[in-house]
This record gives sequence, C-alpha cells and structure tokens, in this order.
Amino acid sequence: MRVDVRALGACNRLAEYGAQRAADALAELTGTDLAVEVTGASLATGEDLAEAFAGRESVGVSIGLRGGLSGEAVLAFDAAQVDGLLSLLPGGASMGRSAVTEVGNIALGGFLDGWANYLGRAIDMSPPRYLEADGAAVLPDGALTGDGVFLFESRLDATAADLDFAIYMLPDSGPFRDLVVGRTPAAATHGGDSGSTAVPYESLSTFASLAKRGSANAADNIGMMTGLETTVEVSRLRFVPLTDVPTEVGVEPHAGTVFELQGKPSGYLAILFSEQGAANVAAAMLPMEPAEPLGEMAQNALCELGNVMTSGFIDGWANVLGTSISHSPPEFVHDMGSATVSPLVAKLSRRQDYGFVIDAAIQTEGVQARCDVYALPDERELAAALEELSHA
Amino acid sequence: MSYPRPTDDPTSPSRERRVKVGVGDLAVVTDDATLTTSGLGSCVAVAVYDPETGARGLLHAMLPTAGGIRTPAPRPAKYVDSGVDTLVSELESVGASRPSMRAWLVGGAEMLDITEAVGPRNVVQAERVLDAASIPVLARDVGDTIGRTVHFAAGGALTVRAADGFERTL
Repeated sequence: MRVDVRALGACNRLAEYGAQRAADALAELTGTDLAVEVTGASLATGEDLAEAFAGRESVGVSIGLRGGLSGEAVLAFDAAQVDGLLSLLPGGASMGRSAVTEVGNIALGGFLDGWANYLGRAIDMSPPRYLEADGAAVLPDGALTGDGVFLFESRLDATAADLDFAIYMLPDSGPFRDLVVGRTPAAATHGGDSGSTAVPYESLSTFASLAKRGSANAADNIGMMTGLETTVEVSRLRFVPLTDVPTEVGVEPHAGTVFELQGKPSGYLAILFSEQGAANVAAAMLPMEPAEPLGEMAQNALCELGNVMTSGFIDGWANVLGTSISHSPPEFVHDMGSATVSPLVAKLSRRQDYGFVIDAAIQTEGVQARCDVYALPDERELAAALEELSHA
Repeated sequence: MSYPRPTDDPTSPSRERRVKVGVGDLAVVTDDATLTTSGLGSCVAVAVYDPETGARGLLHAMLPTAGGIRTPAPRPAKYVDSGVDTLVSELESVGASRPSMRAWLVGGAEMLDITEAVGPRNVVQAERVLDAASIPVLARDVGDTIGRTVHFAAGGALTVRAADGFERTL
C-alpha cells in the first residue's frame, strides 16, 4: 500500500479549514477576534508525545467520532488561561466547567463540519466530556500507545486577549489510512517518477525516527565538544504548511546558525537560540568572557557549535535513510526568528507548499540556553530516499 | 442560542481591532482596523490605500513570481505578481478605485547568503507590478539585512518596526 505525502496536504488543509470554522464559532460566542495561527499534522510515537507534553496542564473537552471519520477529538486550553476564557463569556467565571464544555463543543462542532463537508459524509459526535489533564494525558486515547500516529493540531490565537487553544484529533488509523490512500492520485501510486512524493505507508513511521535520531546525534556531539551533559527535550516531526513556519518561530529576536543541506534529501537546517541563550552558550564555550555578548568571538563559537550539531543531525538522517548528506559552512544569524527563516521557506516554496519540519529542543546541563532546531528537507527527495529504503 | 457580543455593547470600552496577515496571505479592510504583518525578512509587504473610500489592503508575499512554478495548490498571495493583482481586485470589489490607490513597500531584506537574494528580487517585482497597474509607491523601507514588522492603520498611516527596535512611520 502506498500513500502520497501530498494527500496529507489535503488533510492538513482540511484541518486548517476546520480550525477556522472553530475560530469563527468561538469568535461569535465571545465577541473576540480569533485567528488560526498554525495547523499541523504530527507523526510521532507515543514516547515522543509524552516528552513534548511534559509539564503542561490542560483543561478541555473530548468527543468521540463516528461516521465519516472515527476516532477522538480534543479541544484543550492551557489551564492558566481558563480564567481569561471565562471572563470573555456571557455569565463570566460563575459558569466554570459548563462554560468550558459548551465552548469546546461549539468549537469542535465547527471543526468537524469542515471535515464532514470535505468527506461528503456526516460525522457523529458523542456528547462532550469535560477533562482536566496533566501532560500528554490530554491527548486522545491511543495517542501514546501508537507507533507513528497522526495527530492534527491547530493553534488559535485571540488577537485582543491572552487566549489560545489547540485542537487535537487522532483518527482511528485503519479508516484514516483508507481516507489518505483513497485521496492519493493514481499517478503517484505507481512510483518510479522522479517527482513522485508517494511512499509506502509503512515507511511513514521511519519519518518519526528521523527526528529522533538526528536530534540525539546532535546532542551527543555537543556533549563531546563541551564535556557537558546535553539532552534532547522535545523531538518530533510535523507536516505543516510552509507559510506557517515563520509564524511558529515567532518575532522574538533569535541568534544562531543556518545551513544548506546537499544530498538526499537536500534542504535547510536552522539552529536558533533566544538572544540571551545564544550569549550564554557562547560564554560557556569561550575561555574568557567575550567583550560583546554576541560579537565576533561569540559568533565564531556559535558557528562551531552549529557545525558540530548539524553534522550530528544529518549523520543521523543518513544512517536511517542509507544516503549521503553534506552541509554548507554555517551562516550566523541574529534577527527576528521569523525573518531569519523566511528566505529558507521561500526557497523551498518553489517546489512544495507543505514541509516536514523536525522540531527538536536541546538543553545543555548548567547553561541557560535551549535551542530549537528546524530541519526543512525537500519533500520529493525525502520521499525518494524512503522509497529506496523500503526496497533495501 | 445567540449571545451578545461584548464589542456591540455601547457602554464597553472600544478595543482596537487588529487583522493579522500571515506569510503568503493578504487582507482588505474598510473600517478602522489595523492591518499587521510581522517577521518580514526576505518577504515583501505591499500596502495599498485608497484615500477616497478609506479601503486598505496588505499583502505579505514570499516569492517574486508564480510563473514557471508548479505547486499542487496555487496560493496567489504567496507570489508578488499574483498577490498584488489579487489585492487590487479585492480592493476594487469593496469599492476602491484603482486611479486613487497609493502603495508602500516594506521588507525584501537580504537575510542570508545561502538563499540567492530572493529579497531584492521580491522588491524589484513589486515595483514592476505596481508600475504596470499605475499605482504610485509613496514610500519604501526595503533591503538591508534586517527583519521588520508592519502596522497599517486607518487613514493610511504605515509604521515599520525593525528587529533592532528602530521604528519609523512612512
């Protein structure tokens, strides 16, 4: 069985459309402008998801799905934002749990209307269930036990108030697989075409291991270089519209390095720290305090660190895929994060609308510096490498 | 069931409405909402205003032209040429008149050496398309190697904030 990764694009657009309907429903209810910030499809193992959600406390609503789509959908607010949400609602804080349940029900109804329209089949929703959960327990049942499950995640942002929330949907894998495969264009199912993005369905779980192997190698290399224990806090692979990537990185000032990758797959890799984090990690690497926090000495240190991390990252990919990948010299960057990644996204956008983004957060012991790694591979070349791997 | 919208309540303090324009996106407003777009690097923002009707639009485009690019789902606002055409059409559809439209250009920085000057090419393309549409460019804050954020307020007041904190009104 083969699946075109672009069919995931259709599902992703649908999740985006559904999220917009949810935002409209909530905006109507609260009188607040809401914008869909990011919609993405994750492919992650249960273990990765548990790590990614560690420390979060959520309040939300869960519903079961039957009919056109089966599985479970959850709408979750950060627990700290619930008071803000209640203050926007008619009736205010006194409504508490019932208000959250009603808001969740209305928003999820909007979200699923979008999917039902696309599928041309009704989706039945079970009555909403209020939930309070720590960490990954907020995710739909089954998300943590799967090996490479799809999870659709949309983040909405209220422009006039401090409120955002996420919708997670975990479709049952069997019917969802049929849906994705059913939407795969016939031409793509035969492979062999150099522009094809079709890969065997079973290879999709290999994507998830790319994220993990690359990040672990990068962390090991930092550890060897600095002698400090370095760990990967979050590592997951998501399928997102490329135009959402700058928004996700955010407008805060960042410093770090970017690389062009050559080989199979080619693409780009950006390693970004907060300004202060970059200064801290550079200071930790230099024998003496630099005259300027992000001056030439610090820049050289960050470039050296970037080199070591990137070679670790792509060695991890090359091992998983059985290909050879090399990287350009590092380019130091120091600007708004979204402005830094925009040319990378623009370049990739010539050939693709969606990208596989590998997010990794790496933390070094004793240094107040966490970096985010954004790896943006060419989707056709990645699909071709996975295809070859399946024949090996 | 219907709910009163807090903003409809005449006794509640008025809140400024902001409309965010994402990457590869555009928006048109006819009220006093502020159009914003953030994190412009190599992308270019094209702001268009019709003082006769007060209609304003903002485009955040990534690449110069859609010509020759094959993608599964064309998105006009991703490209400068198709984005400006769509922006002007949408402004006309809310009553704006092309002869009275005025434009501003922001962004198009050369953020990275490894990405072949996409920023300057975006700016050149925007100038070309606006010229072909006979829409004059009143002011520009383009090029350099710095990220920018744009606020486009009622009356056509356009403010640019750069990553180094410097702010100017065009």
